Amino acid sequence: MKSRNLRLAMLILAAGLLVRPVFVSARQRAQRAPKVTSANDPGAQRNEGQKRFQANCGRCHQWPQKFPPRMMATIDRHMRVRATITEKDMRLILQYMTQ
Amino acid sequence: MEDKEFSGRCDSEIPAAFVLAAREGTTNLLGLLRLIAAGVALCLAPALYGQSQTDTQTNGTQSISPVPILSAGVAYNSFFNGGTHNVHPLVSPVVLIPFRQNWLVESRDTFEINLAPVPGMSGYKGALKKEVDYLQLDYIANRYLTATAGRFLTPFDVYNERLYPVWIRDLQTDPLILPISTGPSGAGTGAMVRGGFDATPGIEINYATYFSTLSTDTPFDSQRMAGMRAGIFLPGPRVEFGGSFQHLLQDDRTNAFGFHGAWQPPSLPLDVRAEYANSHEGSGYWVESAYRLSQVPVQHDVLRHVQVVGRMQRYFTGTVPDDRLPSVNTSLFEFGLNYYFRDDLRLVSSYGRQFAPQGGNMNIWNIGMTYRFVLPVGHGST
Repeated sequence: MKSRNLRLAMLILAAGLLVRPVFVSARQRAQRAPKVTSANDPGAQRNEGQKRFQANCGRCHQWPQKFPPRMMATIDRHMRVRATITEKDMRLILQYMTQ
Repeated sequence: MEDKEFSGRCDSEIPAAFVLAAREGTTNLLGLLRLIAAGVALCLAPALYGQSQTDTQTNGTQSISPVPILSAGVAYNSFFNGGTHNVHPLVSPVVLIPFRQNWLVESRDTFEINLAPVPGMSGYKGALKKEVDYLQLDYIANRYLTATAGRFLTPFDVYNERLYPVWIRDLQTDPLILPISTGPSGAGTGAMVRGGFDATPGIEINYATYFSTLSTDTPFDSQRMAGMRAGIFLPGPRVEFGGSFQHLLQDDRTNAFGFHGAWQPPSLPLDVRAEYANSHEGSGYWVESAYRLSQVPVQHDVLRHVQVVGRMQRYFTGTVPDDRLPSVNTSLFEFGLNYYFRDDLRLVSSYGRQFAPQGGNMNIWNIGMTYRFVLPVGHGST
């Protein structure tokens, strides 16, 4: 019983060590990466929006055309629910698709 | 589900089908119309109220007032299953009604007919199938949580919820494991909590947890069940993976689980997707890859519209038979070729080879068209 618990503890420790670098490196990359989404830089915002649009919408279907802004606002809300897309991604996508 | 038999010739089966259905199935059609009217009234009441309220949403620089939308996926498919010809037209309208700042009523219905030749006759025969895929009220409470009530697509794996519409799917045939743990008609009736949020920069988490009650009233039939799905999306490498769990709260009270994964490499027009499902009804998996030939250097003007698709899948029978699933262990390999005229209009085709004992080996051919339109109901631009 004791050796089983020991094996289990070692397994959890090994899993933790394997997973940790993924989170750490993601955080480090984010810290190293320049902040491109400045609210004062419309070009950077548009690029970020395009990236989020391609990454999120392309998960399920071909990239759609741009629709009029009021339609995009509805589609945005629909996709936020349907595809569980984050609030930040949806805001950037809406901005990109309505400019 | 209410079915109405009718007959019609192949060259004009669609108008003939609806005319005959209208003549012979007046009672059923009246029932359906009453159902649609009730649904529309239910949808419009809060929308009309909400349109007078503050219902704008911001894109970061300006406020935009959302408008109700009518959309639909339309398909006309021709299948040859082991030498038997089937014609399968389908219309699937979607209604979206946003109101206030965080509310949305959304609905999707499906009207489809599977027309097959009648032995000894020259015509085709089939049944009109009507289904309410979902009719739900959503409230986006905050960045972490959206609450949903009504009839919703069961979030078990992701195909049923995200990839099912005819204008989205790369191959027109359903995966063999699709009916596993999605409930009758692929939907539940009850409540759901879901959301997606950033865990760290570069890692997004999404989840859906739900409870469905037993309903035997067609077309709102559902099982009593509870379950959840959780996934991780890495927007950098465009990788998503996750798992689903479900506990049936009726009959033999069994558990089911599944896994899903997807990868769209940023440098390639390639989609790789896979799902696995396991329940008392059976188990199995599918792996699909779709590649758009937009990077091929020759004949670019033509080939950039072409998509090649491959999918392999296996199904293993379980302890409880389900007539929506194969009755024997089955393997299916499919290859597809799609041509996109536009992002919303395409020609689809595929060939599949099925391997199954007891005479189940067969070729499956498909050719068809899919189309999707989106219309504003009201003023569509600011």
